[in-house]
Formats: sequence, structure tokens, C-alpha cells
Amino acid sequence: MSVNENLKDHILDSIAEGVFTVDKNFKINFFNKAAERITGHYRNEVIGKFCKHVFQSEFCFSECPISVVLQTRKNIYDFESNIKNCVGQDKPIKLNAAVLYNEENEPTGGIISFRDISIFEEISINLQKQTQFQSMIGHSKSMQNIFSLIEEISDSDAPVFIHGESGTGKELVANAIQRTSNRSDFPYIKFNCSVFPSNLLASELFGHVKGAFTDAIKDRAGRFELADNGTIFLDEVAEMSLQTQVQLLRVLQEGTFERIGESLTRHTDVRIIAATNVNIKDALGRGIFREDLFYRLNVIPIEVPPLRNRIEDIVPLAKYFVNKFSLIYKKEITDVEENALELLSNYNWPGNVRELENAIEYAFVRTPKKNKIDLTKLPTSLLDNQSSTKKYFVTHIVSSDREKTDLIILLEKHRWNKTKAAKELGIGRTTLWRRMKELKIVE
Amino acid sequence: MSEMLGNQFFMARNYPAAQKELEEVFLKDPQNISVKKKLVICYTQTGKLKDAINLFSKLLNENIEFIINTDPELDDCPCPELIEKIGNFNHQNESSFDHLLTLAIIWLYCDENKSLEYFKKLHELEPNNLLINQSIKKIESFIRLLNSN
Repeated sequence: MSVNENLKDHILDSIAEGVFTVDKNFKINFFNKAAERITGHYRNEVIGKFCKHVFQSEFCFSECPISVVLQTRKNIYDFESNIKNCVGQDKPIKLNAAVLYNEENEPTGGIISFRDISIFEEISINLQKQTQFQSMIGHSKSMQNIFSLIEEISDSDAPVFIHGESGTGKELVANAIQRTSNRSDFPYIKFNCSVFPSNLLASELFGHVKGAFTDAIKDRAGRFELADNGTIFLDEVAEMSLQTQVQLLRVLQEGTFERIGESLTRHTDVRIIAATNVNIKDALGRGIFREDLFYRLNVIPIEVPPLRNRIEDIVPLAKYFVNKFSLIYKKEITDVEENALELLSNYNWPGNVRELENAIEYAFVRTPKKNKIDLTKLPTSLLDNQSSTKKYFVTHIVSSDREKTDLIILLEKHRWNKTKAAKELGIGRTTLWRRMKELKIVE
Repeated sequence: MSEMLGNQFFMARNYPAAQKELEEVFLKDPQNISVKKKLVICYTQTGKLKDAINLFSKLLNENIEFIINTDPELDDCPCPELIEKIGNFNHQNESSFDHLLTLAIIWLYCDENKSLEYFKKLHELEPNNLLINQSIKKIESFIRLLNSN
């Protein structure tokens, strides 16, 4: 095994998410330590086995995530599923899936990363105390307004349309609406419209009967039947085909639908919460989203602001994520250094709260126990965007042994080109050389 | 179209969908014996028995061991469950040509002697069927070779 492969395995073994890869026959060829911990299976027992035999999920047959990615050519994120652990107990998980391609662009394997969300259920009870409103954090005026609105509409069954950039927390808003509503004790079905190819979407939503199409090997209820008397959250609703939009409009107007391949009209009483990250005016203008559907869905519109427009939420969110990861990783890190908080507050967060959470997790993993997260541990994408990095290195370069690691990281970044590294630090090449010798980076 | 997607459908026992994917792969890569082996089973399950015996005969001539050495667990071969299913549902047609042909083909993935037994029954029904006779010869010579070793 090469040094690079060893390093990759070491990295994959050090993260909290379970990761496994399969070859094109769906036989497992990599299984990290977290996957062993979550499933109870040992790596050497599962390598070479078919993933369906190891995980024994019903989804292996009906909605294999890698199969969905192969069909849609879109990766899957945060898909909720169930697997069986080594003693046959069900484990709820949240997974991401992607397909690996060779140089000829042919699929050669797949990768799945997953988290045991039963742990999150326990942790979320703990963390909920630290949030302000239904698992959400928002000190900003815009978020406070959203919290008030959710309380005001708690008696209503009217459709809600949530707009906002990717990663702003639209699903959390939807969850809060459902939890505070009169339907909170009834089914709550979450459905991401972009996950399924257009030919399967209607079948997933409205169900099908056996023989309706090639893959319909038995009768199946759709999400609208499963959500009867409850709530359905349709994420990325603008990804729906125009034909499916017509069917959705009918459910909104009449509460009726038919399973694919069946003439029997079925009734459903479902409250619809929809969300999108696309510019809906643009989608209406281009004719890819029906105007009548938009007005039906948009009875209660909620705009979730991007993180860059609510800077006052960044620090509380960062601290919340530190607490969250300290519970997940069982590692004593309780705070973030001022310089890191300053950097976080000045960054523009194109990926919003999700990007902030990922940045904190990255820094958290890299920070030794019982330390605070400091600036140098944050992802380079953030550091590259921040002039304060330079100031930090200049003022701290003579401080501690930890700087040795940071300096090595910087040198690695520039492939050990000292001129470039010195330039980034704003110091002379000779000064850098001297410091490298002092820190015993070079003889 | 991809072999990997075909493999997933096959693994999920969705034979019509697997057949569709694997046929396209087979057209592009006719030498892919792994695809051929799965396609034969798909054809038996979608009622395309003529295609099944044609492809099966080709595979038999090219690499009979590749079929016979199938491991039900390591290769996730559906044949044991298919044989059970056919046994449960087809009592009325158990002497029909199609029924016997399906079993003759599928049994070769698990037990060459059983397969030969069914091919011989087919020979009794259609003594001049070239593909059946060739299959019998091929299996018999393989069994002889196996016994001599």
C-alpha cells in the first residue's frame, strides 16, 4: 500500500462518519472504523461481501442510494434510511452516496458515508436545551421574525413555501412548523424531489400498482398515502417535472390522486410544506414551475436568510456546533479562540449554516483534546479568504511548538516552495528559513 | 446505461430492469461473460426463453466452468431461490418444454447432474433440437472430465 493510500485510510478511519465503498458488483472493498462501530461488523468480515447481505436494508431492494445516483447522476445527501446491525437490530441512519467513475466515465464503484442518527436523537435532546426555538439558533432579527411567524401559524393547515439558499436550514424550519402544528402527532413524511429521476417521482409520491411499469413488481403506496392526516415536506419542489406539478396541484386543490396504473381515485388529507433553493421568479419566468401551483403553495411564504446576512448568528451557531461535536466525538473541546471567531464572522459563507457546521467539524477533528479551536485548524478555503491569516502567522510564528505543525501545513500547501510560503506569511525568505531551522523542520 | 446499474437491479431481483441495462452493456461488450451469465437468468425470468437458450449455449461453449463454478452466496446467485419458486408455482406445467428448459438452464448454476437430467427430458420431447443436444454433449463431457480427475 502506498503512503498516500495509508494516509487516506488513516483519514477515513479518524472521522466519525461510517464510510464504505463498493465495487461495480456491489461487493464491499473498504469499511472504516466508524462503520465498524456503528454496525458492529468487523472490517475483515465484510470485505468482499455484497453490501445488501451486510446491511440487510429494505432500501437495498427498492431505493438503493447508489442505484439512484447511477440513474440520476446526482449525488445524494442526508438521505434517511435504516440498516440492520450485526445482531439484526434496526439502526436509523442518515447517508450520503456517490458513484465512482473511471477515466472513460464508466461507473466502477460507489461510496456511502453514514451516521447513526439514533445517537443524534439522544444528543439532540441535550442540544435542544442550547437552542432558542425548536432546534434552531437565531439571534438576528430576521430569524426572530421567522420564529414568531411559526408560532402564529401553529393553528393553521395552510401550505407553507420556504425559500432560501442551500444550507440555510429550510428543513429545520419545516420541522419546527410540523412540531408546533396541530398535526404534530400524525405522520410527517420528508421527501426530496431532486433525489428521484422524473420517471420515478410520481410513483414515489402517489404510489403505483403492480405492472404499471417495468420496475413495478408489486403494489406500493406513495408518500401522500403514508402522510394521510399528517404533513409532507417536499424539499427542492422546483425540481419536479411539469406533469408531476399538475398532479401535486390536484392534491392541493381537491385532496385526490390516483396511484400510477390505477383508475381508483384516492383521498388524502395532508398539510404541504414545500421548499426550494432556486429563484422561483426566474423558474416561473422560464416556465419550469407552474404559476397556479406556486400560488397554491405560497400561502405562507417564509424566506430563510443566508448566513452572510445574519452575522450575529455565526458565533452562537459556531459554539453550538462545537458542543454538538464534543458530544458526538466524546472529545473535550468547549470553545473557539477569538481569532477563529473573528475569521468565521468575516467569511461570507456561500454554503451557509451547513458550510459553517462542516468547517467547525473539520477544525474540531484537527484540534487536540482539551484545547480551544484556533484559526489554523479551520479549512484552508476559509484561511485563503482571510487576510487575518497573515497577521496571525506573523504574530504567532515565534510562539509555540504547535506552530511547527502549522508551518508544515503551510509549506505543504505551497509544495515546500519557501518563497511562496514566506510571501503568504509576509516575511522574508531568510526569516522563514531561520524559523524552520529553529523549529527543526530542516537540519 | 451501465453494468453497475444492471448489477444492482439483478441484485435486487428486478429482472426486467436488469435485462434492459445488461442488454445494452452486452451490445457494447459482447465478450463480457459476467454480463452474459446474468442475462441468461434474466431471460428465463422475463419469458424470453429463446434468447436464454441461445446465450446459454454460447456461454457453455466459451466457458462452461464459469457457470458451473457459481457460488450461490459469494456470487449472489439467485438460482436456489428461483428453483424453489418454480417448484412452488409450476406444478401444472411441470412437463412443458419451457418449464423444463428453465430448470435445465438454472440448475447448471448449482448442480450439473440435475441440469443434465432436465436437458435429457427436453431431448425426449424434442430429439432434434440442436441447441439441446449440444448442451447435453457439452455437460456430459465436462462431467466425464471432472470424474476422470
